[in-house]
Amino acid sequence: MSIREKVDEYKKILDIFPNDQEKYQYLIEKAKENDSFPSELRLDNFKVNGCQSQVWLVPEEKDEKLFFNSDSDALIAKGLVTLIASIYSDEKAEDIVSNEIDLMEEFELGVILSPARRNGAYSMLKTIKEYAKKLIT
Amino acid sequence: MSKFKNIKKDFPIFERDINGNKLTYLDSGATSQKPNSVIDKMTEIYKFNNANVHRGTYVLSAETTQEYESVRSKFQSFLNASESDEIIFTKGTTEALNFLANSIANKFMSEGDDIILSEIEHHANIIPWQMVAEKYKLSIKYVKVNEDFSLDLDDLSSKLSSKTKVVSIVGESNLSGMLPDIKEINNLVRANSEALLIIDGAQLVPHRKVDVQDLGIDFLVFSGHKMLGPTGIGVVWGKKELLNSLDPVYGGGDMIEEVHYDKATWAPVPHKFEAGTPPYVEAIGLGAAVDYLQDLGMSEVEKHSDELREYGRKVLLDIDGVNVIHSQETIAGCTFGMYVDGVHAADLSLMLDTHGVAVRAGHHCVQPFHRKLGIDATIRSTAYIYNDKEDIDTLKSALISSVEMLR
Repeated sequence: MSIREKVDEYKKILDIFPNDQEKYQYLIEKAKENDSFPSELRLDNFKVNGCQSQVWLVPEEKDEKLFFNSDSDALIAKGLVTLIASIYSDEKAEDIVSNEIDLMEEFELGVILSPARRNGAYSMLKTIKEYAKKLIT
Repeated sequence: MSKFKNIKKDFPIFERDINGNKLTYLDSGATSQKPNSVIDKMTEIYKFNNANVHRGTYVLSAETTQEYESVRSKFQSFLNASESDEIIFTKGTTEALNFLANSIANKFMSEGDDIILSEIEHHANIIPWQMVAEKYKLSIKYVKVNEDFSLDLDDLSSKLSSKTKVVSIVGESNLSGMLPDIKEINNLVRANSEALLIIDGAQLVPHRKVDVQDLGIDFLVFSGHKMLGPTGIGVVWGKKELLNSLDPVYGGGDMIEEVHYDKATWAPVPHKFEAGTPPYVEAIGLGAAVDYLQDLGMSEVEKHSDELREYGRKVLLDIDGVNVIHSQETIAGCTFGMYVDGVHAADLSLMLDTHGVAVRAGHHCVQPFHRKLGIDATIRSTAYIYNDKEDIDTLKSALISSVEMLR
């Protein structure tokens, strides 16, 4: 599935929920499903700066594609980073860098996706793109 | 009828709907909401009076200057200062403490001298001192906090000496609402040192009657935006003779008497500390905020805060799973730090937001205090004049349902 298709898929799911509370609940469930992150990878160099809670994003390259493993000590942030990581995982670095989808525009996710530059989701996306850029150069 | 019954009507923000709920604003410790009188006053200045202060020889400038300077007199009466010249306008508490730290260290301190702070200080009352301590080779000592969140005044006594040049202490804890006994601190400082005593009044001044002469302290600093005023304006009150002896930290227009190519002389207090165009519209807006508080009466404001605090203690202290950081003294601020084992403060505040409840999550700029308590982050509820018992009830029910969802 392309990044666009994955974003559309998540948009469809998130649109089902009538309010922020139920959307957050969905993210909490996503967070609880993501139990594969090894605690020894909770390292400072994998930390995403600019989040209210601690968020980790670990890249892995397999068959010329990038995969992201993610974690957070807060549930809603973990749900969000899990969702974002799954959108950009299993993709070529070039496709991640050239993709211009603005998640803040696409998803209605209350204050956690407000288009502020010092916002956690913005930092998560920036981190993913930086990892991808490093692979290309 | 209570002056506080329909008070929300004076604050247009409470007409807002937040996520389909009415707004339950419990983050006044971060910033207060503004009444119409403050907003209207600032709009009126921009619309009909705007001209730079202290410069023009024309009607508009004269009117604005008069309004700006009259705010000093309002604060003289609000704080019972001996003179209106003892009121210096700054950007806020942070700038005020940076100014005092630099000016005092430069004038009165030398290598090996001590600064005494406490373990519960806001970063704004730590970092400026750390910066000057490094520059002038000074030491910082921290007064211990007791398990009940009060300050260990025996520890303060033991730390005071002839080397102590500054004691700078919070007037009300921004996490536990604890109110240190400022008079007792002042007595101890006078008896055991020749230090200057600074009180960080950011949380205290909005909520309680403060009489600077009665307290006997040397300096009081606070912010306008936490006491119904606009952002970008705050106050340093200082004893006139001390202000006279201090040198300015910022140079520029309006703070001078005479300027030559090789030297300059300073204007008298207070203007020597107010370089450049001051935030005069903000200061005038803050003057309207002082009028609003004076109309209510600070003793009534205190009474309202005490009633809400007692109600908060009754309602918030026994919620299953919620740990509360709150002063155990009889009198304290209406501030409750809270955390739930296994639940992140950021999650909790996001869930509370879905109920229209606005609280702050994080370390509230008291990171060392959190570290001392062994907690990463808390949520904090701070109430002000426009809050009522219903807001505390809403917080409680939102907390219970949020915790249930997050566990």
